[in-house]
Amino acid sequence: MVILTLVFSILLRTNIPNFAAWILLGLLIWRFFAVGTSQALGCILGNPSLVTKVYLPRYIIVLSNNLANLMGTTLEFLTLLPLLVLLGVNLTAYALFIGPILVMEFLLIFALSLSLSSLNVKYRDLYQIWDIVIQLGFWLSPIVYDPSLIPSRVRFLYSLNPVTRLVDTTRNIFLLNTLPSLFDIAAVMISVGILLLIGFLTFRRLESRMAEEL
Amino acid sequence: MIEAQNVWKQFKIPHQRHNTVLENIAGVLSVLEGKRYSYEEFWALKEVSFSLEDGESIGIVGPNGGGKSTLLKLMARTMKPDKGRIEARGSIAPILELGIGFQGDITVKENALVYGIIMGIQRSQIRKRLPSILEFAGLTRFQDAKLKNLSSGMNVRLAFSIAIQCDADIYLVDEALAVGDMEFQQKCLDKFREFKKQGKSIVLVSHSMNLVKDFCEKALYLLNGETKAIGTSEEVTQRYVEDMQTLYKAG
Repeated sequence: MVILTLVFSILLRTNIPNFAAWILLGLLIWRFFAVGTSQALGCILGNPSLVTKVYLPRYIIVLSNNLANLMGTTLEFLTLLPLLVLLGVNLTAYALFIGPILVMEFLLIFALSLSLSSLNVKYRDLYQIWDIVIQLGFWLSPIVYDPSLIPSRVRFLYSLNPVTRLVDTTRNIFLLNTLPSLFDIAAVMISVGILLLIGFLTFRRLESRMAEEL
Repeated sequence: MIEAQNVWKQFKIPHQRHNTVLENIAGVLSVLEGKRYSYEEFWALKEVSFSLEDGESIGIVGPNGGGKSTLLKLMARTMKPDKGRIEARGSIAPILELGIGFQGDITVKENALVYGIIMGIQRSQIRKRLPSILEFAGLTRFQDAKLKNLSSGMNVRLAFSIAIQCDADIYLVDEALAVGDMEFQQKCLDKFREFKKQGKSIVLVSHSMNLVKDFCEKALYLLNGETKAIGTSEEVTQRYVEDMQTLYKAG
C-alpha cells in the first residue's frame, strides 16, 4: 500500500486534494474485496474433511473465512485511522458510516464467495480465472485514478460495479464530510441482494454433490 | 434407532474428466462435433438394508472397495443416497476421521474447543468437561503445549476423547479404534460398552473379526456394494472369513 501510494502521488500528479489519504481509503476497500474473495474461493477445496467426514452446514466454512477477513480489514482500518489524521483528514461523525460500508462490502464478498467456493469444487482453474478478474477489476474501479476521467458514454456501465460505489462513498464521508447518497446505498444493496440470491442458489445446488466431487 | 431401506448409491466414472473451465469448454465443443459425453456407472451400494435398535450395535465388514465407508458417509449425511432412504431417530456422531480441523499452532486446550464445536458439542459443555477429556486422553500435563509438538498417537487420542463426548444417540465409528496403544484401545472399548448400556447405538466398520464378534450383536457383510450376508455377528464374520479363504486358495 505504501509503495502504491508513493508511486501514484509522486509519478502521477493529480489535482485531487489530499491524494495520499484518497488513495489509501480506496486501497482499503479494494483490498478487502480482492483478498476476501480470492481467499474464500478455495476454502471448500482446502478443507475436504469438513465436507466429507462430518455433517455441518457448509456455508459456515465460507462464512468463517469471510469473517476472518472482515476482522483483518477492521484492524487495517484502525491502523489507517491515525495516519489519516496525520495526513490532515478532518474526522467528523460521518466517519462512523465506515461501519455500515464495511458490513455491506462484507455481504457482497460473502455473496460472491458462496458462488465461487462451490464452483471451485468442480472447476479447479477458477482460481486462476478469478485472479485475472481481480486484476481487471482493480483498473475498472476508481482506486488509483479519478473516476471523472471515465468518458460519459461508458459512465453508466462503469458505475454498475458495486465496489466503485463503496469506494466513492468511503471517500466522501472521510474527505468531503458528506452523507452517503441514498442512491448509492440503494444501488449497492440491490446488487448485493441479487448476488446473495445467486450465491445461495448456486451453493445449494452444488452442495448436495460436493462430497462426491472432493 | 437407525434404519436403511434399499439404499443405492452411484458414482460416475467419466471417460474424460472435465475438471476445469477450459476443459469444459473443450468438452462442449467436442460434443458439438458429435462426440458423446460418456461415463461409466459404478454402483458403490446396491439395495442395502438393515436396521438397528437402541442399545444395539452392528459391525460392517467386507474387503476394500466393498462400500463400507460409503454407507457410513450416507449415514453421516455427508452424501445422499440415489435410491432408497436412511432414517435415523436421534442425533448422530460421525467418528469417520479423527482430528478434523486440528491446528498445529494453537494449544491442546484450544484445539479441543474447536474440534468439540465441529463435532457438535456446546462450547460451555466442552469447557466443563475439558479436565475429564484431557484425563481420558492422558494429556493433562500437555494441555498448554502446542499441538504440533505432540506425537501423532497423542493427537488421535485427544481427538477420540473429544469425539466420544458428543452425547449422540448413534455413533458411527470407522476403524478409529485401531489407533493408540493397547491400554487406550481397551479404555475406548469400555466406553463404548457403557454407551450401549445407556441405550445408544453403534455402527462399527472394522477389519478385525474378533472385535466385531466380541462387540457387536449384528453384522453386515458388503462385497462390491452388495449385501453378502446379514445377521448375527457370529455367522456373518464366519461367512466372511470362509469367503476370503476360498478366494485366497483360488487366487
